[in-house]
Amino acid sequence: MHLIPQSSSHFHLLVSIFPSIGLIFVLGFYATAFAADNEPMKRSCLVLFAILGLLAIPTYVSGDRSMAVLSQDAKISQDLMTTHFGWGITSLALLVLTGATALIELWRSRRAERLSNDALHLVLGLAIVSLALMAIAGEIGWEINHHELRLDPATQRTPQAWSHAHIILNHFPTVGFVFALVVYIAALVMNNVVMKRASLVLFVICAILGVPTYVTGAASMWALTGVPGISRAVINAHRDMALLTLFGLAFTGVTAWIELWRFRHLGRFSNRSLYLVVAFAIITLGVMAETGHRGGQINHPEIRVAIDALPTDPKAGWSPAIESLINHVIWFVPWQTVHFFGFSLIFGTALAVSLRVLGFWKSMPFSAVHRILPLGVFGVVMNVFSGMLILFADSSRYLNATTFAPKIALITIGAIAVLYFSLSERLWTVKAGEDAPMSAKWVAAVVLLSWAGVIMGGRLISYV
Amino acid sequence: MEYGNTAIIFMVVAVVSCVLALSFFGVYYLNKIVDQNAPEGGSVRKT
Repeated sequence: MHLIPQSSSHFHLLVSIFPSIGLIFVLGFYATAFAADNEPMKRSCLVLFAILGLLAIPTYVSGDRSMAVLSQDAKISQDLMTTHFGWGITSLALLVLTGATALIELWRSRRAERLSNDALHLVLGLAIVSLALMAIAGEIGWEINHHELRLDPATQRTPQAWSHAHIILNHFPTVGFVFALVVYIAALVMNNVVMKRASLVLFVICAILGVPTYVTGAASMWALTGVPGISRAVINAHRDMALLTLFGLAFTGVTAWIELWRFRHLGRFSNRSLYLVVAFAIITLGVMAETGHRGGQINHPEIRVAIDALPTDPKAGWSPAIESLINHVIWFVPWQTVHFFGFSLIFGTALAVSLRVLGFWKSMPFSAVHRILPLGVFGVVMNVFSGMLILFADSSRYLNATTFAPKIALITIGAIAVLYFSLSERLWTVKAGEDAPMSAKWVAAVVLLSWAGVIMGGRLISYV
Repeated sequence: MEYGNTAIIFMVVAVVSCVLALSFFGVYYLNKIVDQNAPEGGSVRKT
């Protein structure tokens, strides 16, 4: 396997996801910098906007050369490529303008010694418009190579929406980790608490997004099974690395979340834990890069080179072995039981914390119920792994169940919403006898409804 | 391969016990760290 691109097409696939998906994460950091009114973080974001603006140049050049190569492929639609080029060049031009504005403001502020709010808002506006144009260009770009999105849905074993979601979702944990790691290392160097917390949050969000990415990937496997030119052995090689990625995301995400939880109680970080997050993140990023590369080889024959030795045995690897093992009752039933215990822990914890926020048990300060949150997070970890094993047992049936998609969506929403409990400053200061702020009550309601929906969605799989 | 009821029950109890024991120990350990490192002489209950 070669990770270093050896063709313009390969380079374009890699570099083009940074200006598009990366812009979402930089905007997230930028919004956090505004909310926390943190000047060093605003400056760091301006540097990131400038870097994204620079990346527009290799994205354009590699895309232009890639078009010349793909024009010779009869399966590729010229119209789609031309439309992608039009939207792409417009969005890249605007991104260059965003980066240039950020750079000018950085240069100007060195002389003025403070950032101008008008310039910062201008960068924000330009970046949002660039992102909207990027979304259109990206969507058309993905359709160029992914023929399975245009296949007759009646001939496919899983709904088209799953494959479409996987093509988009799989880039979020990968690109998110790159940006989280860059901002995290900058935060460690600058010793900036807001940047440390923001990047830890991004590690956790990427870990949560790993769940829908993995599940939609399993669905894409079925959508591509039997499609001419697609090898099941290459898909299985990708699945094996995706399994390792899920482990890496879980380790990094849980370590990052524990540090956020601990910071809430102690008001400071543990240096050892902070560096542990760096180690986990770097290893996970390496595994994700290989996973992404193997995923790209499934549907992008143009990135293959002569020295690539692609797998040919569809039964080789860990994934088929786990599939066979988990179908034995002696393995399936214990992990299914663990799954039920996991739900009990998650819902029990979410119920206790949410009810306090909603106004029950006011004799307790919020900090007291915040202490039990790790129990719910361990429940989530238990269920991600037991759920993954259960999915292995009969993925085609689960993925075609009506309530499975809402269940996965609600897991993502419920898990991200729980982060609020460890981040809100106002909620943390709620003492015994005091009422929680209204915004916290809305979040508590979302958490409760999401996890109730997850349990109901899971139970209904067998019957609806 | 056919498995007897005893084997299945043993596996359920063994796997669930291990997973739950790890989780409960994790929560106990994290709360202990918070107690030991809390400001003002080890009491976070004041916050």
